[in-house]
Amino acid sequence: MSVVEIQNVSQTFGYGELAVHALKPTSLTIEAGELVALLGPSGSGKSTLLLAISLIQPPTTGRIVIDGQLLYDDGPTGVDVRAFRRSKIGFIFQQHNLIPFLTARENVALMLQINGVGRRESTRRATDLLGYLEIAHRADSLPAQMSGGEQQRVAIARALANEPALILADEPTAALDTERGTKVMAMLRKIARERRSAVIAVTHDHRMIEGFDTVYHLDDGRLAQVDHKVQVASEVRA
Amino acid sequence: MELALKDIRRHLGKFLATIVGVAMLLAIVLVMNGIYQGNIQDGVWLIDNTDADLWVVERGRGGPFNEASRIPLDSYKSVAATPGVARASPLALYAAQRVINGREQQFTLIGYDIFGGAGGPGRLVHGRTITAPHYEMVADRKLGLQLGDRVPLGTDHYTVVGLTSGAVDSGGNPLIYLALPDAQKVQFEQDKRAIQAAAAANLQRLNRAGYSGEQAARLLPLLSAGTSNINAVLVKLAPGADGDAVSGHIRDWLYFNVYSTAEERLLMLEGKLSRMSAVLGLFRSLLLLVSIVIIALIVYVQTIEKIKSIATLKLIGAPNGLIVRLIMTQSMLLTVASFVVAYLLRDLIAPGFPRTLGFLPVETALTFAVMLLGGVLASLMAVWHALRTPAQLALGG
Repeated sequence: MSVVEIQNVSQTFGYGELAVHALKPTSLTIEAGELVALLGPSGSGKSTLLLAISLIQPPTTGRIVIDGQLLYDDGPTGVDVRAFRRSKIGFIFQQHNLIPFLTARENVALMLQINGVGRRESTRRATDLLGYLEIAHRADSLPAQMSGGEQQRVAIARALANEPALILADEPTAALDTERGTKVMAMLRKIARERRSAVIAVTHDHRMIEGFDTVYHLDDGRLAQVDHKVQVASEVRA
Repeated sequence: MELALKDIRRHLGKFLATIVGVAMLLAIVLVMNGIYQGNIQDGVWLIDNTDADLWVVERGRGGPFNEASRIPLDSYKSVAATPGVARASPLALYAAQRVINGREQQFTLIGYDIFGGAGGPGRLVHGRTITAPHYEMVADRKLGLQLGDRVPLGTDHYTVVGLTSGAVDSGGNPLIYLALPDAQKVQFEQDKRAIQAAAAANLQRLNRAGYSGEQAARLLPLLSAGTSNINAVLVKLAPGADGDAVSGHIRDWLYFNVYSTAEERLLMLEGKLSRMSAVLGLFRSLLLLVSIVIIALIVYVQTIEKIKSIATLKLIGAPNGLIVRLIMTQSMLLTVASFVVAYLLRDLIAPGFPRTLGFLPVETALTFAVMLLGGVLASLMAVWHALRTPAQLALGG
């Protein structure tokens, strides 16, 4: 089942002669449980595509369907995008972006609470998620008291809290050393497989490419090349 | 989840330090309110606490507080004989500076008719009123005197028989009450050697003018400065008497200036007190403005410090209400807590403050309301900034 379907999505900033085509018409489909990388140099359009998919920065043109919901069809479709993001999309950031004055557990529970889950239940589920990501022992630590890798695992737990259909990750391993980056990749793979979430990660970290099912190469705002790992893709479809 | 409280709990030291800092500034605002009102209260204390309907003073003068007024003692008898006057009491006022209790102190002497006249001390906190015709005094406790203390004034010593509290002149200096003749003596009588020198000079002038020794001796008292002057006459109107008519009568027939108590009060407020009130009022407004600006800056900086967290909250889909509550709660807590601490500080400062502090609950409430409004406006500015923050700020390094 496709989680993400985008057709002819483009992004242009400015008008006339000053117009900058940050993303030329791009189409792609991502299945549930698929781990996708958007790879390319700086300015190639990968972050623009990520922002467009999440409708943080709506595209200029194109059609976006996520988890069966038409969100954009050459214009807004009237869907409450923020509410949709809250319930269907999980975010992982390069700098983790945990709320600094909340503990690991509170950071995860917050995501559940803004989705309407009660305090007691959100605390229980946050504890479970931290356990799932093998970071339960740091549940009561503040972000500043944790290592980069630990913070990233908490950030992943937060992204998983609302059981999203789609996880968007912005350079998830860029701030980590190879060992910790590899662990995070393994975790993303585990999440994709076990929870059937589609994962899209923007990266220029070539060390981690091996871990992805599909790699979209972007160059100058254009989808230049697609690498599928056939055996992995079939594993995903199975 | 109450994010504001979580944030405060994690940065409790910083939050408390901020509260203390703002509270100290606000305490100055509150004390300045007190100084402003205290200045007015002191200025009109004597007028408000003197049981008089009319004040009779020297013709053409705005006395007895704003301008010196000197009238003959006997004039109070003429005033008493005016139709509509129930009682007329002589009053002497004299601002002085003497060494009392081992230090130079400024005070005002009030001389009044101790045998039933107006103008005497009101409620005493210790001791009794003056009963002896001479050498007794009632003093305000601000002078540091005790019952039984003997105070030298002029050529005589006076025994403290009663103490008042908060009895002050328009400058906030304490009052000393004496029997009228004693006050006149202190005010008008010169030092013995000066009197002798003046008398000798006058005698020589009379001799040069051809008056013999006996004649000169008879005329000499006429040339000496008398002590039978007073500064004002306090009038209590008879029931049903028309104050304007009585004033007109005294003005026309006795040739004095007459002010009602309300006019005397107005003279003080618009005269002696007006400039100081304007200065204090200006400082008070400026301090309030500075406090609001500082609170606004603190709230704004607090928001800016959290801007990446706010962007993250927006990006993960947190509703605006959560972000608005985060900012508003912190701002309101800061403002309210600062005000409460400032209020406590004010109460700590007030008893030892060298001037009268007049605190009006309405004014304190108004100051709180203005501060709260400032806090709300600052929060709205911060909220406006937060809600304009693009969610994509959370992305990237």
